[in-house]
Amino acid sequence: MQRIIVTMVAAVVLFHAHVEAQRGRGGPTAAVTPRAAAPVDLTGQWVSLITEDWRYRQFTPPKGDYGILPLLPAARKIADSWDPSRDEAAGEQCKAYGAAGLLRLPTRLRLAWQDDTTLKLEADAGTQTRMFRFASTPTDGGDWQGVSTASWDSARAVFAGRGPAPGGSLKVITTKMRPGYLARNGVPYSANAMLTEYFDRFDVPGGDALIVVTSEVVDPDYLATPYWTSQQFKRETDLSRWHPTPCAAR
Amino acid sequence: MRSARGLVGAALCALGVTLTGQAPEIPSATLGQPPFDLSGYWTPVLHEDFMERGPGSEIADYGGFPLNEAGRLWALSYDPSRVTLRHHQCEAYVTPYQMRALGNFRIWEERDPHTQRLVAIHLWAQTTEGHRVIWMDGRPHPPAWAPHTFRGFSTGTFTGNGLMVQTSHMKSGALRRGNGVPQSDQATLTEFFVRHGDRLTNVTVVSDPVFLSEPMVRSSDYYRQPVDPGAWLYACDDGEQILDRPDDSVPHYLFGKQPFVREFATRYKLPLAAALLGGVTMYPELGARLRTTSDADANALLAPAAGHTAETSRAVDREPRDGSVHVLPIRENVYMLVGDGGNIVVQTGDQGTFVVDTGAGTLTDNVLAAIRTLTTHPIQFIANTSFRREHTGGNARLAAAGQDPSLPGSFFVQAAPRGVTGFFTDPSSHATMMAHVNVQVRLQAAGVAAAGVPADTYLEDRRRKFHNGEAIEFFYQPNAITDGDSLIHFRRTDVIAAGDIFTTTQYPVIDIKNGGSIQGEIRALNEILKKTVYRHQGEEGTYVVPGHGYLADEHEVVEYRDMVVIVRDRVKAMIDGGATVQQVKAARVTADYDTQYGANTGAWTTEMFVEAVYNSLKNIR
Repeated sequence: MQRIIVTMVAAVVLFHAHVEAQRGRGGPTAAVTPRAAAPVDLTGQWVSLITEDWRYRQFTPPKGDYGILPLLPAARKIADSWDPSRDEAAGEQCKAYGAAGLLRLPTRLRLAWQDDTTLKLEADAGTQTRMFRFASTPTDGGDWQGVSTASWDSARAVFAGRGPAPGGSLKVITTKMRPGYLARNGVPYSANAMLTEYFDRFDVPGGDALIVVTSEVVDPDYLATPYWTSQQFKRETDLSRWHPTPCAAR
Repeated sequence: MRSARGLVGAALCALGVTLTGQAPEIPSATLGQPPFDLSGYWTPVLHEDFMERGPGSEIADYGGFPLNEAGRLWALSYDPSRVTLRHHQCEAYVTPYQMRALGNFRIWEERDPHTQRLVAIHLWAQTTEGHRVIWMDGRPHPPAWAPHTFRGFSTGTFTGNGLMVQTSHMKSGALRRGNGVPQSDQATLTEFFVRHGDRLTNVTVVSDPVFLSEPMVRSSDYYRQPVDPGAWLYACDDGEQILDRPDDSVPHYLFGKQPFVREFATRYKLPLAAALLGGVTMYPELGARLRTTSDADANALLAPAAGHTAETSRAVDREPRDGSVHVLPIRENVYMLVGDGGNIVVQTGDQGTFVVDTGAGTLTDNVLAAIRTLTTHPIQFIANTSFRREHTGGNARLAAAGQDPSLPGSFFVQAAPRGVTGFFTDPSSHATMMAHVNVQVRLQAAGVAAAGVPADTYLEDRRRKFHNGEAIEFFYQPNAITDGDSLIHFRRTDVIAAGDIFTTTQYPVIDIKNGGSIQGEIRALNEILKKTVYRHQGEEGTYVVPGHGYLADEHEVVEYRDMVVIVRDRVKAMIDGGATVQQVKAARVTADYDTQYGANTGAWTTEMFVEAVYNSLKNIR
């Protein structure tokens, strides 16, 4: 019996080694760029569908009206003293257009490959640009859009051993953001905030193509718990609707 | 030896993993295995739309919903106190809202025990005990005439990095909780589930030709709970909320009379039109649109647009027109036959077949063929719910194809004078036809040959019969759509044949000249509701077969009753204000229902219905 077991285990090990060799692991392989490896096409023009938190997103809510945002007292203090004229005077009209708040605004997005390792996201609201970099590029950050590191993510990767999933998500982690607003009425996030986003594309049979961005904001300075939202965008073929506008503080 | 078995098992397990891992080009979904796992306990994240999902939506806050005119007016007419009505108290949520409701979800797989292929994914929601089944085995959706449920019928496929689910056959309900934003029974739903670690996102895309101008897209997030949070039950029994309220009272607001319509806009300093403009409220263009919308424009949104032609139904045809008669099993030995005009109910059994209504008579051969697939016993009894042609057209031929073995050799055959009806003369070759006496009178007056006229009639409020081990009751409904309408209740199987008192396809055909009336119609609908008992959360239990349309239960009847009452109230209010019938028609008093039931051509138009209501209230015949 012992001999049978040893033989079987050896067979498994050899078989595994054979398969791995055939897959080319350990040998020289041609480099596949992130652009070529994209499991999903996110490029094109997309318009936001403001169907949730409508009042908070289509309009600037009154001061102190921040719904169920999981704010720490320090954040409430700042939000309760929000003064848009002060932001305007300081030249900080774009505080609500930073990475952690930008995709919550009514906007159109244009996604396009800047190069083989950088996906560029432009928003006409506030005329903002985000760069999703698959290759690590040292940057200091500190602007509204911070530093975004991108990778392709597969739901199936959670369950190893079943091979790659058909399709996948764009995962973007953004840090080093200039302090800004989660909502236009001065609900703050800090320079220590980290934004994690997944961009998923869904094709509705006989209908629209959608991008849904699920986002998580973690901010040890201002948030008691991670702040989770998801935003949806619909693909647009009429490019004439692209209408860049400057930031507005109110 | 035990450890040796374990080693062998481990080795085989390792081999299995290796083998699976080397064939990435074959999506495992095609092997009947899910590419990712949704199982477990999930808690909704309420960082978005908390007001709606917690305390409830504010009145006239329809922003972000692409409501068309009918949808907006339906919502404006809605009075939240409608839920005080008994039949609305325990209604479950329709799936698009259920996925956003408070409370945890539990998801588990159902697999074929022999092949381990994925058969279905089950979701259980704490609120309303919302149990959804997503069929993963490729089965088709039911036909259009099949019953609707609050969850609908769902099928799923793994696509891309998500699970795509398509749902049809949902009941009408609230697309938004608490302020009347409606979803019709014509809505269909496409969903995507995608998982990122311990976070699950559900995207719903609702298409509703009745109430939406374009699809409504929302997304909901959940996080995984490591342990069972419990509290999975959600008991509900209805009861009296307001004593002595007349049963023809339905809380609603007349068009333009919603007293709280400005509260939301005022409270948040928004233009009144902001939340009323429908589809554009979802887009960045809203701001520009509001800059060109005057106060007068905004006020005009509170009532039907003047001068417009009435809208017509955008519902799919729920009656097959393929020349075939289709059989839909209802419960045990009771079936619904569709395809030849009005719906037909068939009860089978050893005593003989009992048929309610006979269709239009244009496909009677097919009706007979369909019945023969259900039973070898002859048709013994035929009951008519009214004299209307779509329900009696097949009387003569179906009766001729049957026989009533209870009559040969009986006193009645010997005593019956020949020639009175032609039936008792040779019962062995005819089914016995039953109906309220006014059906007989109306058919005879219309010149229908005796072979198609019920001879066995009743005059009072109730007729009863015990057949095939089941009590069957006829309940006369005076002056409903005609003066001869009956509800027929199969008590054991709990199926009610409603005839044209209730349909899912059109406004009630209130035939004033033949004794119909709006009050009688409302009374008759309430009589149905007095007999129904739902199984769970306001659905199933007693089935109601409409004269036309899909197999229903009390939910569809109560929604129909509400509609009839509301239209009556609107017409009555205008009559009280001195309006003529032309003014009532021009006011589009059915504007929020026309995309469901309306017709501008054909045998029964919206105008004819409104005129019937008007004439009925004015006692004009």
